Amino acid sequence: MFRKSLSGVAVLGVAALALTACTTSGSTGTNSDSASGGGTVTVAVVNDFTSFNNQTPQSNLDTNGQVGYLMGNYGSAFSYIDKDFNIVREDKFGTFKKTSDDPQTVTYTLNPDDKWSDGEPVTADDMVLSWATQSGYYDSSTVDEATGEVATGTTYFEIAASTAGLDTTAYPTVSDDNLSMTLVYGTPYVDWELVNPIGQPAHIVAKKAGLSSAADLTALLKGLPKGDRANPAAPDPTLRAAADFVNTGYDVTAFPTDPDLLVSSGPMVPTGWTPGQSFTLERNKYYVGGMIPKIDKMILRVIPDANAQVTALQNGEVDIINPQASADTLTALENTGADVLTGDQVSYDHLDLRFDQPVFADLAVRQAFLKTVPRQQILDSIVTPVNPDAKVLNSQIWVPANEPYADSVANNGSKDYADVDIDGAKALLAGATPSVRILYNTKNPNRVDEFQAIQESAAKAGITVVDVGSPDWSSLLEGGDYDASLFGWISPGVGSAGISQIFSTDGGGNYNRYTGTNADAIATQTTLDPDKLIALEKKMDKQMFADAYGLPLFQLPGVFGVSKRVSGVEYMGNQTGPFWNFWEWSVNN
Amino acid sequence: MSTPTGAGPIPPPTETPADELAVASSVPESQGRLIWRRFVGNKVAVVSVIILLLIILFSFSAIGLGPIPGWWKYGYKALNPQENGGNPTLSVLPQFLGGNGISLGEHPFGQDRIGKDYFAMTMRGIQNSALVMVVLGLIATVVGVFVGAIAGYYRGTVDAVLMRITDVFIVIPALVIGSVVGHWFGSLGAPVLAIMLGFFSWMGIARLVRGEFLSLREREFVEAARVAGASDMRIIFKHILPNAMGVVIVSATLIMASAILLETALSYLGYGIRSPDVSLGLLISSNQSAFQTRPWLFWWPGAFIVSLALLVNFVGDGLRDAFDPRHRRFKLSKMRETRPEPELEDRP
Amino acid sequence: MVSFVLRRILVSILILVAASFLMYVMVGYSAQPLQDLQGSNSPNKQQLINARVALLNLDVPPPLRWVLWIGGVAKCAIPFANACDLGSTISNARVIDILPNALAATVQLVTLALVLAILLGVTIGIITALRQYSGLDNTVTFISFFLYSLPAFLVAVLLKEFIAIGFNDFLRDPVIGSVALVAIGLVVGAIWQSLLGGDGRRRLVVFLVSGLATSGVLLLMSATGWFMHPGLGAIPVVVLVAAIALGAATLLAGLRNRRALITAGINAVIALVAYFTLQHLFDVSSAGTLIILALATAAVGLLSGFLAGGYDRGQNMRVGIVTALLSGAVVLLDRFMQSWGALLIATNGRPIATVGSKTPGLSGDVWLTGLDTFAHLTLPTISLLLISFAGYTRYSRAGMLEVLSLDYIRTARAKGLPERTVIVRHAFRNMLIPLTTLVAFDVGALLGGAIITEKVFAIPGMGSLFNAGLDRGDLNPVMGYFLIVAVMAITFNFLADMAYAGLDPRVRIR
Repeated sequence: MFRKSLSGVAVLGVAALALTACTTSGSTGTNSDSASGGGTVTVAVVNDFTSFNNQTPQSNLDTNGQVGYLMGNYGSAFSYIDKDFNIVREDKFGTFKKTSDDPQTVTYTLNPDDKWSDGEPVTADDMVLSWATQSGYYDSSTVDEATGEVATGTTYFEIAASTAGLDTTAYPTVSDDNLSMTLVYGTPYVDWELVNPIGQPAHIVAKKAGLSSAADLTALLKGLPKGDRANPAAPDPTLRAAADFVNTGYDVTAFPTDPDLLVSSGPMVPTGWTPGQSFTLERNKYYVGGMIPKIDKMILRVIPDANAQVTALQNGEVDIINPQASADTLTALENTGADVLTGDQVSYDHLDLRFDQPVFADLAVRQAFLKTVPRQQILDSIVTPVNPDAKVLNSQIWVPANEPYADSVANNGSKDYADVDIDGAKALLAGATPSVRILYNTKNPNRVDEFQAIQESAAKAGITVVDVGSPDWSSLLEGGDYDASLFGWISPGVGSAGISQIFSTDGGGNYNRYTGTNADAIATQTTLDPDKLIALEKKMDKQMFADAYGLPLFQLPGVFGVSKRVSGVEYMGNQTGPFWNFWEWSVNN
Repeated sequence: MSTPTGAGPIPPPTETPADELAVASSVPESQGRLIWRRFVGNKVAVVSVIILLLIILFSFSAIGLGPIPGWWKYGYKALNPQENGGNPTLSVLPQFLGGNGISLGEHPFGQDRIGKDYFAMTMRGIQNSALVMVVLGLIATVVGVFVGAIAGYYRGTVDAVLMRITDVFIVIPALVIGSVVGHWFGSLGAPVLAIMLGFFSWMGIARLVRGEFLSLREREFVEAARVAGASDMRIIFKHILPNAMGVVIVSATLIMASAILLETALSYLGYGIRSPDVSLGLLISSNQSAFQTRPWLFWWPGAFIVSLALLVNFVGDGLRDAFDPRHRRFKLSKMRETRPEPELEDRP
Repeated sequence: MVSFVLRRILVSILILVAASFLMYVMVGYSAQPLQDLQGSNSPNKQQLINARVALLNLDVPPPLRWVLWIGGVAKCAIPFANACDLGSTISNARVIDILPNALAATVQLVTLALVLAILLGVTIGIITALRQYSGLDNTVTFISFFLYSLPAFLVAVLLKEFIAIGFNDFLRDPVIGSVALVAIGLVVGAIWQSLLGGDGRRRLVVFLVSGLATSGVLLLMSATGWFMHPGLGAIPVVVLVAAIALGAATLLAGLRNRRALITAGINAVIALVAYFTLQHLFDVSSAGTLIILALATAAVGLLSGFLAGGYDRGQNMRVGIVTALLSGAVVLLDRFMQSWGALLIATNGRPIATVGSKTPGLSGDVWLTGLDTFAHLTLPTISLLLISFAGYTRYSRAGMLEVLSLDYIRTARAKGLPERTVIVRHAFRNMLIPLTTLVAFDVGALLGGAIITEKVFAIPGMGSLFNAGLDRGDLNPVMGYFLIVAVMAITFNFLADMAYAGLDPRVRIR
């Protein structure tokens, strides 16, 4: 009995010890957000964050890009794109200007006060690294098309964007104060203004590659020759290490314990991440550019389901949402008392006709089919309920937000297809009853509705529309058995890189084998004079309607819901979404 | 919401109707008649069957099937001009109560955004849900009975192999395998989807039937048939199977109920029947944002899903009672007559 | 026994390998991981496609790719090598790195739902069995069939709309209207009278007392602003603890059993003493403290039951531990309620959440974060537990009726045992036997149901991993999901068999 009680006492003692070990210092309550009065704004995003480098093929996702925008790499350092798709220069961070057209020369100059969020200065070393990353200057690889793997040579930096443009530049010149960098293009590059040479911090990349400073990294880059595909040299181990870090070192599955990954040159720095739930950023006190946010803290809340986003806004859990737009979402948002901002997205749906299919070999058949497409009806059922001001899209090149749109539409011949013209179509067909197979994505309700509307209307003119839609539509685009396709392009809103991609004969996006604008489309890529460029593009736009290329249908409508707590949010249709003017947001009291 | 793995999810282990047969044979009535009488005596189940059949009949007569037209003027695919702003024209409030009288109007359930008649779509949804329910249930039952019968009858290695195969399929949750199947076959239309789903839903029945066969094959009548020289197939399908029909029918009904819900869940996840064809699940999930704004788009298909699943469940419950009436034998009220203090409290 | 377990494990591994092949090939052939790139107009589209093909070995046909994958999985079997390779996602995250987080979220959700569904379902099932064909039985039967027939996401959407938003809106001005008070009183009264049963007069009394008491308490609560500053306070805690002690002793041992009463009393007193003395310790508590306290509570309960002794120590220990844990729960509940105000501030007065599993950026003591988790997980748990709740009520009702009709129960009654003893000690245990198999099946259904619940409530668990993966054609996370779910299903089946053997003496494990 005595032993039993003794062991009992021992157990009690151990328990008491464990108890004291397991208590906290007694902190109660919350850490409130009212540190400096700017407040917190919570924004719903659809996808989770995966990487602090949003430029690699595997990490080029919307949320990564938005975090990158807030952190100042690629897309928000020297300039940003505003809601009207103008390139706005951000002069307080740094300036850039084109000093010569022949050869095209561009000089970037940093503000001497620019610092990374670890206190290190931003210098030309960082710009040189960014140029090396984006230009593919050192790559010497040839890729085996069958397996997708590198056959010979070396690819250093893996990037999602094309190297087109920067690939013709020579090694840049750096000024003596190490604050400016000059790029000289081998051939003129039309989208030079979109080049933004601030990416990863060179001092961090140098450290990870085993070098002692950013200057050492620049010295290494300067010493290495341009990659030669015909005669690949042995890979440089240090650059390999640096590139490997940039390629995959920023990919994370939890908030990094290594503070080097969090270094930011932009207005905000990441301070926390609960994977799958929320990503937190706070104001970067070292940032001296013009995009200094009024709010202290921003939380990105991951909510994949559009309806869940609406309820979360209604329940005060998020302040800004950007859900998939539908008339019901819109009404529901209006009922919650939130501010509702609507507009167009940069992506637009279009109907393309295959020029290599026998049914469309004849221009008259193409025209007749296009005349039956009920574009206004489609717009009225899909877009108008969300955005009452929406109009049918009438240009293959521009969206209405672009300045040349109105002028081009007036002259490009789109008027011929303004209304459904069954009689006109019948006249063109002259008794023929062609059968048209349309490929579309059966999982996308918009495309399904578009298809049904076209099918019904075309039948009136004697055209049989056959449903060859598939959830696997994307792999059928190239080489599938169909006559016309319904799908969407994402127009970046600015820049002309996509034009040759879609409208030149060998362009990777030319699924309908159209050859009518080949020369002009290629010419656009090297045209630096904006007026000449617009003239070229207008000519293409007109040519395509004359050839009955197909028809643009509408821009997808977009909607933001904004809680009354927050003001300053404005609609933006591109991938940056509501974040485009985050520095203007403020929290109302 | 449940899974189509079996009778509910569980094989009721101790309920062997086989024991019942002995009791039943002493009654001067055939087994079938007895079960029928018990089932007909269950008002809820009978009413459920009637309503269920009426709903299905209503949906098929309304919009017809394939080339056969129905009595309703619009098809589920036809685009019509928007009337009444797409709002439902159904009115049930009589005029003297301030309503518009009892009338259907042009589009009783309203229209969707491109003008399709929502009543016709709902009817088509019922047809497809009923189709998925029946086809999935039939295929799962046939495959399950076959596998279970062979395994239970032959025992030994055959049994071990078949049951391990069953285990392989059973390891994956129904909704998971349903999503994968739906992702693959959803665009091929309701019949294909239902058939494919059926091939992944037989495991529960197979296990139940095997259990039945394991015990039935030891019975005298099987021995008698064997001595009389009946072939294995004849013994399995002519002698044993009819005695295991209770379990089969009951679990088939329950699989059918969960099939409706499985299809609904798949549609919500985007792996079910795809537009322009219609299922109730697809209607309700594509209109969930209309929940607050145009509730009729949400509630009509929702009400039909719940009714179909509920009715089939009631029928299944009635069938179970009819096949296995032991659940009804115990009555507390009878105990009360014999015991003075039936309450939970103890009296000294 | 050992050979049985080993054989089971071996067979399970073979099943797992075969099922993974099936799954891999099916998903592999149906997935379109290149869809977003094929439809893009990026100038370097081909290069991006190549990069993804190289990353995920898409040039290898699925059956062969499965061999590569299972090779990586096999490395998990090497102990301590940390060589597990479950492949990577399209965005180059290793699946093995993202699984733990997702797994934790789902296990939390599913476990809670499972336990609650069993507790509620079995309790209600037994009560309806004892009141067979009463109004209560028919109502519950209808309701459970109805819940069974509701699509899961419909329930979730309704819960969000009416519970979360409705309750949060109510909190803005927490006063219950008089109509609502009366209605709640009527409903509660009706429920209680049908639960307790008896003759007409007794039912009327129960109806009136419970209905009036409920309305009165609610009136008091809304008048004193209780919903903004909830808490139990000393007197209600004393009353509740006393009721628990009395209830536990009555149900498990009967009021005639003095030693059981003593045990329950001791534990109740200890709980009350702890309530008055430990408040300061609670203020500095962490999760670890609470676990230690819970263990200590359980130990005290068992010990007091053991010491109170008597001819049936096991029974007393059960009474002890039940009383101790439940009264401990009351004390904890009171302390959690005290953090309600802080949560209201942290969430701008809208504590019940509709998305996620915690308020971002919230930091505080264990009470606040615990309460926050509770406010986030309540709705998903309810919507998930409704999936299996109906099954448990139906099967436990049927099981109870079945057992009650058996001869040994008749014998027990015949020898004059009180009804309580017959039900609790003789029928209950045998009724549980068939339920063990149901639990094993149910885990699979719940894990499947979690796919939908997680989508509606934006919880980053296994289900959303699966759903996002399948949507994007991202095979490896889907397979990671499959692996976990299959292992859990197999494990629970195994545990069910063991439990079956433990409960049913006729079954022997060889």
